[in-house]
Amino acid sequence: MAAQPYGLIATFDKTPDVYHAAELVRDAGYRNWDVITPFPVHGLDKAMGLKRSIVPRISLVGGLTGFTTGMTMIWWTGAYDYKLVVGGKPFFSPMFAFPVSYELTILFTAFATIIGMFVVNGLPMHYHPVLKYDQIRRGMDDQFFVVIEARDPRFNAANTRALLEKAGGKNITEIEA
Amino acid sequence: MSSHAATAPAALPSADSTASTASKALSIGVAGIVLTALGIFVSGAKTIAFSWLVGVTYWTAIAIGMLLLVMIHHIVDAGWSTVIRRQYEHGLSAFLWLAILFSPLVIASLFADKHDLIWPWMEPTHELHGGHTVAQDPLYLKKSGFLNLKAFVIGTFAFYGIWMWLSSRLRKASFSQDVDGDIKWTRMNRVTSAMGLPLTALSLTAAAIFWVKSLEYHWFSTMYGVWFFANCVRGALSVGIVIMLWLLQRGDYQGGVYNKNQLHCISTLAFAFTVFWAYVTFSQYFLIWNANVPEETFWYNLRELNHDGSTNQWWYIGLVILFGHFVVPFLLMLSYRFKTTPHIIRRIALWILAIILIDLCYNILPGMKDEHGDSLPFLSLRLLWVLTSVVGVGGVCAWAYLKSFPTTKLIPIRDPRIGECLTHHE
Repeated sequence: MAAQPYGLIATFDKTPDVYHAAELVRDAGYRNWDVITPFPVHGLDKAMGLKRSIVPRISLVGGLTGFTTGMTMIWWTGAYDYKLVVGGKPFFSPMFAFPVSYELTILFTAFATIIGMFVVNGLPMHYHPVLKYDQIRRGMDDQFFVVIEARDPRFNAANTRALLEKAGGKNITEIEA
Repeated sequence: MSSHAATAPAALPSADSTASTASKALSIGVAGIVLTALGIFVSGAKTIAFSWLVGVTYWTAIAIGMLLLVMIHHIVDAGWSTVIRRQYEHGLSAFLWLAILFSPLVIASLFADKHDLIWPWMEPTHELHGGHTVAQDPLYLKKSGFLNLKAFVIGTFAFYGIWMWLSSRLRKASFSQDVDGDIKWTRMNRVTSAMGLPLTALSLTAAAIFWVKSLEYHWFSTMYGVWFFANCVRGALSVGIVIMLWLLQRGDYQGGVYNKNQLHCISTLAFAFTVFWAYVTFSQYFLIWNANVPEETFWYNLRELNHDGSTNQWWYIGLVILFGHFVVPFLLMLSYRFKTTPHIIRRIALWILAIILIDLCYNILPGMKDEHGDSLPFLSLRLLWVLTSVVGVGGVCAWAYLKSFPTTKLIPIRDPRIGECLTHHE
């Protein structure tokens, strides 16, 4: 089988081991790789060199869209398209447009956040190549894994294997794509 | 990864005494008080009394906010705020001095020939716009069961009494736990908080009505107590951020006490209360604007227009509050980086503290009017007396805090939640 493998997976027994291995892989400049742990490890995001999520920015765009939509809609309907005096109030005032704009801000922010989160994290994901690794279930129990994908520009079967070995990884295995 | 190395040495009382800072604060405070008192000869008793009311209410609001935050911490069994809670407990020692500093206003109102030095409804012969007196005013008579001198005096001292009593219980339990580590102190604090929260909510509402809202006793707003509450908590959170960063800078919080996530939490709470303040303040304005009933709108008209329809200074102050108290801090504190970068969040906190003062000025000072019934302008010599009052009362509060500071450990080292707080994470 000459097809390109999905990547290399290495096993670690202890949290500090995988933590320091992550730092090593990060410093080697890899981009497409991941760590699999049975529980959240605090600070692992930093050890992996992950930046803060961009979801808050998507939320902000959603919020601004919602606020603008509310204000524009009320101005359009009440002061432009079909002028109507209601309760002796001006055709348009940000005052009475505010509650609706505020609610649309929250609604659009919520939509943007949830949709943004799913887009960014790629969920739902029903299949992943690492599931082919027969030991992967240990990653939900008592072992830690580092996976480096073959599509990473720095990936090189020999060098990457050497790096994982240097990091203290055991059972370094190739995962088929 | 956050440091888990926090151990007892970091929690020992700071070697560097705060005694010299405390005496400096006291001198500044006394200087401010003396200057304000001398202002009577320059601007008259009424102006000074109004300025003093702003100063005392400002610091009382912050102290109430601290009391609320300590009790909320206990009632929800919070973890992250255990470290900063100790500083709030020190801050609570200011209540006694605040009560003493408030009393000149009560005494002046009680014993002056005319009782309407500040609050017009206290004097039955106070003349209203149009020739009637307060004693003939049906709007006063209907409210006189609540708005009367006796209720005001008893109420004011009862409020301070309640806050002092709750504070002393909270302080005693927390400080005693440092010594023996007994869990009974945590339980005692929960009991104090369970009764203290409704008591404080009611007393701060009544205090806001007596001290501030009754300056314009024809007016009513069910949001008033909530508005005051929002300012109390925002003030206390801002002071908390400033104190936290001051201790970090001084070196007290090094060695594992300070943790960026604690700062993130307190800033996020300050952000939440920014939104809450805006919600409450907007609701009050919007309902009055929308209903457009003269007996409510006059309160805002006083703060926007002169009798001839021209715009007065308070209109601009209203805009400063809208943007400075809500829009700008709201947009800035959306950012994680701003919330967790010490020099940025400290500036935001100081800005909020300044704008709370302007908000109180906006609510209190237009109670003083000229012969046409127009509010006296914001920018005048009176603003100087407001500032001397704030510095005077603030100096005394800072002194009370700094005097309490070295008497206990820097953090509640035997609190059951202290470990969770020191290693707090997102």
